[in-house]
Amino acid sequence: MSGTALDIETRQKRLYSLFSTATREASEAMSRWTGGDVSLTLDEVQEISLDEITEQLELQEELLTMVVLSIEEEVGGELILTFDDINGRRLAASLIGRQPDFEQAWSALETSALCETGNILGCAYLNALAESVGIDLIPSPPQFIQDYGASVLQQALLTQAMVTDDIMIARTGFTRGEQELDWSVFFIPTVPAREAFETMLVAAPEAKSTT
Amino acid sequence: MSTQLKPSTPKRKLIGMGQISVEAAPECLHSVLGSCIGLVLYHPRLHVAALGHIVLPVSAGRSGSPGKFADTALPHMLNLLGQRGANRAGLKAKITGGSEMFGKPGPLKIGAANTEAVTTALEAAGIPLIASHVGGNKGRRVCFDCATEQLIIEIIGQEKEVI
Repeated sequence: MSGTALDIETRQKRLYSLFSTATREASEAMSRWTGGDVSLTLDEVQEISLDEITEQLELQEELLTMVVLSIEEEVGGELILTFDDINGRRLAASLIGRQPDFEQAWSALETSALCETGNILGCAYLNALAESVGIDLIPSPPQFIQDYGASVLQQALLTQAMVTDDIMIARTGFTRGEQELDWSVFFIPTVPAREAFETMLVAAPEAKSTT
Repeated sequence: MSTQLKPSTPKRKLIGMGQISVEAAPECLHSVLGSCIGLVLYHPRLHVAALGHIVLPVSAGRSGSPGKFADTALPHMLNLLGQRGANRAGLKAKITGGSEMFGKPGPLKIGAANTEAVTTALEAAGIPLIASHVGGNKGRRVCFDCATEQLIIEIIGQEKEVI
């Protein structure tokens, strides 16, 4: 990655501020979508060693329900929403006004509801990020996936892995009231996107305090 | 039994991206694969094996852990196995992984590229490829049993496979 004149602490503060803004926008969108029920909080933005990434992100052997939005431009990345299956199902069912039936496979309507959730908060997140950095981040239609989280993550971080072993990833958590939910949003930028962030971080004024 | 979506699974040490691990019977080698290739080299008589979690096909001078690239992983695995007394002549190989997990396939088609790079490297090294289970668009949870030489593969919604 290109070097900057920022010290590590300042860089990390500005990076956190950048992604906090995106998380805040996504949280407001999610709150409106769920009738005030669910909100988001930025957990961390960090660079993680490639061989430790699935362990540190606690995505080892977990089978997850996910919605993936791909930004397929050179300055792009992957936004992955992960849910434990039961609560993802409950969310989808609540959005369509039904009780979840765990004996049946996900219906097309439930899948669509979850994808729309991903679309709404994903677009809010990416729009905020794009506006802050001065780039375009236009995602593909959301894709519903049920699979090992680690498997999906491997493909998502490939463009970074081609040039570095230190993978930048932002993780955001969900809460319902005071309760933390076993859901996450991961944003994994491409290398050109990382470089765009670095340029913006150097040019940014001192980071404001974030909540 | 097909792989059901469960809320949690027992935690065990997995071989992560770019890592290589060597074990002997009765131990097993575990990993979770997407587009990466899991390359197993094993010695049937000594019951010792290595599993490499290979991320990319070619190093092309790039830095990284030896297990990250197909062209560096294989020589490193041979070296590690040699230190355990398992010389090249007695080794056999199995591979799995190499999926295209989501989105439109790009020009690189990394899963297929990894598969080709590993099979080419094995051929060049003169190590017989006994079995392979590659491709598709699903992740794989894999376990190589050093005692039985079985490579057990789990894919969501499918019956467990053993190669």
